[in-house]
Amino acid sequence: MSGIIDHLSIGFGVAFSLTNLLVAAIGSFIGTMVGVLPGLGPINGVAMLIPIAFAMNLPPETALILLAAVYVGAEYGGRITSILLNVPGEASAIMTTLDGYPLARQGLANVALSLSAASAFVGALVSVTGIVLLAPLLARWALAFGPAEYFVLMVFAFCCLTSLLGQQPVKGVLAAMIGLGISVIGVDSNSGVYRYTFESVHLADGVDFVVVVIALFAVAEMLEMLEKVMAGHSVEVKPSGRKLFNLKELAFTAGSIGRSSLVGFGVGVLPGAGASVAAAVAYSQEKRIIEGKDPDAKFGKGDMRGLVAPESAATASAIGSFVPMLTLGVPGSGTTAVMMGALTLYNITPGPVLFDTKPELVWGLIASLFIANVLLFLMNVPMVRVFSKVLSVPGWLMVPGILSISYIGVYAINAGTFDLLMVVGVGAIGYLLRKFGVPMAPLVLGVVLGDMMEQSLRRALSITNGELSVLYSSPVSVGLWIAAAAVVVVPQMLRRMRQNRQARNAAA
Amino acid sequence: MNDRTLGIAALVLAALMTWAGWDIEAPFAYEPVGPRAFPMLIALIIGLCGLRLAIKGGNPVEANSAGANSRITLMVLVAGGYAFLFQWLGFVLATTLMTMLVGRLFGGTWLKCALGGVIMGVFFFVLFDQVLDVVLPAGLLGDLL
Repeated sequence: MSGIIDHLSIGFGVAFSLTNLLVAAIGSFIGTMVGVLPGLGPINGVAMLIPIAFAMNLPPETALILLAAVYVGAEYGGRITSILLNVPGEASAIMTTLDGYPLARQGLANVALSLSAASAFVGALVSVTGIVLLAPLLARWALAFGPAEYFVLMVFAFCCLTSLLGQQPVKGVLAAMIGLGISVIGVDSNSGVYRYTFESVHLADGVDFVVVVIALFAVAEMLEMLEKVMAGHSVEVKPSGRKLFNLKELAFTAGSIGRSSLVGFGVGVLPGAGASVAAAVAYSQEKRIIEGKDPDAKFGKGDMRGLVAPESAATASAIGSFVPMLTLGVPGSGTTAVMMGALTLYNITPGPVLFDTKPELVWGLIASLFIANVLLFLMNVPMVRVFSKVLSVPGWLMVPGILSISYIGVYAINAGTFDLLMVVGVGAIGYLLRKFGVPMAPLVLGVVLGDMMEQSLRRALSITNGELSVLYSSPVSVGLWIAAAAVVVVPQMLRRMRQNRQARNAAA
Repeated sequence: MNDRTLGIAALVLAALMTWAGWDIEAPFAYEPVGPRAFPMLIALIIGLCGLRLAIKGGNPVEANSAGANSRITLMVLVAGGYAFLFQWLGFVLATTLMTMLVGRLFGGTWLKCALGGVIMGVFFFVLFDQVLDVVLPAGLLGDLL
């Protein structure tokens, strides 16, 4: 117990320094604006800011705090448009529109916004508590991992990320392999051999992680925006009578908030399932539980419990998804994969040792996640008008702005034209891959984990002089293989069973 | 344009990876797994995915609305041109030019886009280069800035 308090005091010591508090506030603000913008979500905001944070010579913990604040802020921003306009800023906010928009139509827009902010705050609180209790334990367990266990763990992470991503896992596998393939380019650190550099000096160091991330999440995103001509929204936030929810409404929704926060944290800790899965699971759970015993429930027509459930779950899972990255060094979502890439720019490899070697980084980050949520809660209610103004920024100004900021970041890393051209090329390919339905998150994970994965495989096989049995000799790795197989097979089976049942119902 | 196209592209990629990577060899090997194994493993799996997609086919790609493809091609060209001119013309000029062209693609008028471009170029240059210490190329305006 005293250990936890020690850790937290380190964390809040870091987070409460003037610079870091300021950075957290700025990050939350920028994040919210990015989240409000149509088509841009947390991953885009984080991707664009990584190189800039690095170029500004921010220390690693400050940079990570900035990115985390942007992440959480963008999740917040997504809900503003969901509630006011019925336009989800990103995938995890879709469930928020179901009951949030009807509430706004009933003249309760401000109440809905403040209530959603409060429920997100509770979700964050539950999740941060969960991290504090769970993360050190998990890290201690992972310290005993050898290279073979690590290799299998990464296979497991890929399996989770690809199988949960919709109908066609084969495209997820393809994406992961392309990512790993990109990570192979450059000089091999073990033997000094150049791989796939085609005699180019620019490729000798490999393809910079920043180039890939900006290409996929800024350039490809912009090309997708061009598919339809965009019209700027202009929104009037009608002043509604009450700005805040009252205690009665809070008590009315408290049960839903609590349950959904726990669900969200659980889903977030699992690698692969992100905020959108958490929001959907929590919403349907609340709907089932409440509609069973309360005949007055009006889910989908503006029930406050239907608003708070996805909100608290999405935030809880966004924060919970830091657990696998911090403790195992294996990120569980696209956004945390991007953040882990940011740490590698600082030559920091996340993993279980981080808790001992860089406690100020880990606990500072955890404390800042908490602080960012407090700031967002305070900022959200009075500043709704300011944020919704962002929506009226026209596309002809917004898109050049995104491109320009992206190039600034890429240029800052190597100060060269080659990387910029590479961004355009990779971005165009990324756009085509997206058109074919290839998911981007496994690709990013591949780029981030590629080097580590190859190193652990080679190290494991060196120990046994090439004997493959080392990969399935310890109980931990056998367990992970089974888990990996299960996450691939079980969802497929469930899907097939559901289809069969539907077919039978249709026939009957 | 359906899964078969993607599958064939993946098969080509796998073949290229194998062809370009077959000669990768460490000058002296002191570990059982050399630098070639991992890329070959990746190429193999890409090939298998490609094979499956090519055989199964289906899932045609949603066609873009009329004019979207030419807009997207133009955007790629402008982004490439921006990359070329970024260092040479300098940030402010290149950004002004890019904003004019990209802005047109997104339905702005010439005047608005030009004005927006100049303001954005100068504003970002001051913000990043002067205030935040992220170095940007001054280019042709080098002496002025």
